[in-house]
Amino acid sequence: MTIVLSILTQLLHIALFVVAAPTLAGAMDWLDARFASRAGPPVLLPWHDLLRLCRKTPMAADNVSPIMQFGPAVALGATLSAAALVPSFTLGMALSPLADVLTVASLLAVARVAGTLAALDAGAAKPGLSAQRSSAIAVLAEPTLLLSVTGLSLMAGSFNLDMMIVQQREGILLPATASALVFTVLVALVFADTGAVDQTADAIYSGTSLAMVRMTGWCRRLVLLNLIGGLFLPIGMAADETGSAGWAAGIFAFLCKLVVFGVGLSAIQTLAGRIPRRSLPDLIGVAALLALLAIVLVLASGGMA
Amino acid sequence: MSDPILLFLIIDVVALATLGACVTRVPTTASGVLTAAVCGVGALVCLPALLFRLPDTVLALPVGPPGMALHMVLDPLAAVFLLTIFLAGTGIAAFQATTAPATDQPSLQVTIFCIAGTAFTFLAGDGVSLAFGLALSCATIRKGPIWLIAPLLVLIAVCLLTPAGDAPQFDTIRAAPPGLGRTTAAAVLTCAAVASLAWPRAGARCWCHDALTAGVVLPGAAYLLLRVITDLSAAASQGWWGSIVMLTGGVVTVRQGWRSAEAADIDAIVTALIRRQAGLALIGIGLTSIARAADLPGAAAFGLRAVLLICIGGGVAGTLASLATHAIGASAGTFRLSRLGGLVHLMPRTSVALSAAILALSALPPGVGFASLWLLFQAVLSAPRTGGLLVLVPLALIAAALAVSAALATAASVRLIGVAILGRPRSPRGSGAQESAAPASTILLAFAGFSVVAGVLPGLVLSGLADPAIRMLAGVPTSPFAVLSLSGASPGYLALPVLALVALATIAAILLARRPGPEGKFAGIWADGMPPPFGLPFGEPAAQSTGAGFLPVLPTIPVAGLLSLVPKPMRVSPAAWFRSLRADGTGTTKSRIAPIRPPSAIAGIWLVLTAFAGLLLVLAVTG
Repeated sequence: MTIVLSILTQLLHIALFVVAAPTLAGAMDWLDARFASRAGPPVLLPWHDLLRLCRKTPMAADNVSPIMQFGPAVALGATLSAAALVPSFTLGMALSPLADVLTVASLLAVARVAGTLAALDAGAAKPGLSAQRSSAIAVLAEPTLLLSVTGLSLMAGSFNLDMMIVQQREGILLPATASALVFTVLVALVFADTGAVDQTADAIYSGTSLAMVRMTGWCRRLVLLNLIGGLFLPIGMAADETGSAGWAAGIFAFLCKLVVFGVGLSAIQTLAGRIPRRSLPDLIGVAALLALLAIVLVLASGGMA
Repeated sequence: MSDPILLFLIIDVVALATLGACVTRVPTTASGVLTAAVCGVGALVCLPALLFRLPDTVLALPVGPPGMALHMVLDPLAAVFLLTIFLAGTGIAAFQATTAPATDQPSLQVTIFCIAGTAFTFLAGDGVSLAFGLALSCATIRKGPIWLIAPLLVLIAVCLLTPAGDAPQFDTIRAAPPGLGRTTAAAVLTCAAVASLAWPRAGARCWCHDALTAGVVLPGAAYLLLRVITDLSAAASQGWWGSIVMLTGGVVTVRQGWRSAEAADIDAIVTALIRRQAGLALIGIGLTSIARAADLPGAAAFGLRAVLLICIGGGVAGTLASLATHAIGASAGTFRLSRLGGLVHLMPRTSVALSAAILALSALPPGVGFASLWLLFQAVLSAPRTGGLLVLVPLALIAAALAVSAALATAASVRLIGVAILGRPRSPRGSGAQESAAPASTILLAFAGFSVVAGVLPGLVLSGLADPAIRMLAGVPTSPFAVLSLSGASPGYLALPVLALVALATIAAILLARRPGPEGKFAGIWADGMPPPFGLPFGEPAAQSTGAGFLPVLPTIPVAGLLSLVPKPMRVSPAAWFRSLRADGTGTTKSRIAPIRPPSAIAGIWLVLTAFAGLLLVLAVTG
């Protein structure tokens, strides 16, 4: 029975995630416009875009390999896999034994690599530039993500996400200073991820491939937000043995967190403006140093071993 | 281990040495096939010794003065490394046999002697045999008198560990462990020997040497460190040895990772990726040593597993990458990244093999490189947290080095695969590349298959091949089918289910996106709306990415700039002033003086961080 329930929660989590990713993107676009005193696009516009793109005749360059055809699907698959491993509304899902935080970070890297290889396979100038830019940013951002999750794992004594979240809920993920530093780093990475969004996807993909690329970007942002929400705000998340009432409360808490994150991100972006691409190395560099500092603090405090 | 197995392995090594001596009298193809057969038999002989956990065997050869006969030993550590180099040797020799007209006899001789010497080193049970095998190996891969350095240093190190009046045998050393001073000196000498063994040759460009480095020399260097530091000197092991070895490994892995991401030639990228693995192995050995000194067998086991997985998986993948790179360079006529492209259409089997090798050498799941990285992070997580900041800060730095190195290796892999294998050919010579001959590509694909299996089932590889060695050095067994952590409460990395999950999600995405609708169309070469240049109706291939720009502009550190807020006025000679007057008509040198820039918010953060780092340093020094 427990196995059936864990599978059920896992499926529910994936469905919730797939529904939430485009909706959050639409809501944030609407919020950005509202903060700028404009009417804003419909919240469900991303869904319309996805349907429209799936109906279009796909176009492909000559002389491309299957990488170009399947790259966007692999990228989406890897991102969805990462999403499936990060708990949203309950712990103890079917895939929780696989929910290794290093694996999650690496699956996001796999998704990026698949997209980059597909862009290079197009054999044109603009996709190549896009691939170069995404790779250059990733050389800074991916180690920073790895370092930050390593800092948390050093506190928890494990790389497993469920165990880390449980310890955070019980208040034993110490020292709190290091935890706060890692929180700052992850928030900085979300902003960097938003700033690094490449607008040249339209020049590389079309039809369903473009729809998958857009969905991958939305899912990636939601994975990072969910990671922050799970690790630092595990409020309302249902425990292993909680029934449907606990799940409903968990889903409500998850949606509330998304609203808070969405409003917060849009507000900060309106106030401070989007981070220009040329400033991303500075932002990520500082975030990496903060992550390193968090690790030193954890080790020096003789925390969980 | 069984006596006949040891005897057979000694005969195997002698047969290899004999073949090496006679190679000039036998056709290259026949020599290559014979060498591959002898190496393959050696690998097969090692397998039962590992799989059936046979006990250690010692055999004294009646060679040398009385009381100083050569002792040969087959223990689990020697067996797993023998298997690795015999496997690599089989591939290299078979590949040389298939490319016989292009492969000369001297390079085959180098291969044979290098494998024979290293195998003899692994079988050695005393210092003299160890030095003899090492000398045989070094003499073939090192030019000039430098080849003597490593054997001599290792011989001195083993003699230092030996009790006075006894023969320098490993059993004698284990029975009467030496003091701290002598073990420290022996560890330093061994590290120097390993450095001289693995130091890259200046200006050398030889695919055979690269393949031997990946599959034979670097595993040999790791074996030496493990044998002397974690086996013979285990009783007097010190944590600070491990810290030094670990930090050296960190520097090597980041430096080679950066080189791999900026190199202009595919063989240089592969060489740097292989040497990055050596840095990772050093980190693993250092972490093992630290854990052994703190009496933490679980943490030591993580480090050992990482080292052995790097040696087995990285050795095979490095060898494969070197061979595939040579096949591409020989067929396309160039190793230059900016002149290759579209090889997936021209050389599909070689491209697949090279991609599998690069996946194994980088840090992406489900490659064996990611499993090694995961184990190294686990070793950092399990490392002892005592000894003050001077001991703990290196651990943090190693975590950073691992993360940075992984990202750099990923960038290098993307460059190599994306630019050289995908896209369109960038030069006429590159577009004429042809697939390798069937025997050569079969060898490449076989090695690629092993790399993929090692990545998908790292736990099985470790428990099957490396478990006896880990049990011998750390006293902890491994778990089958997965790289599990030691405590049951903390699940580990399971590559096969992760791969299945990604495959399932990808298939689901494809099926969801595939709906009844118009068929796809091909739209020619994409030129971003630009007309094709004259004479190039299919577009300008050089407009594609050439592999530059994959590395970021490093974050600026404005602290140094803050120290000189007021720019110094330039001293301009009258002649220069008149020249500038003629140039712009104003007579000012304003453009030559940098404007005053106020410190930014980023600069403030940098300053705070620097101050914090300074405080940490002060705390570390004052305790």
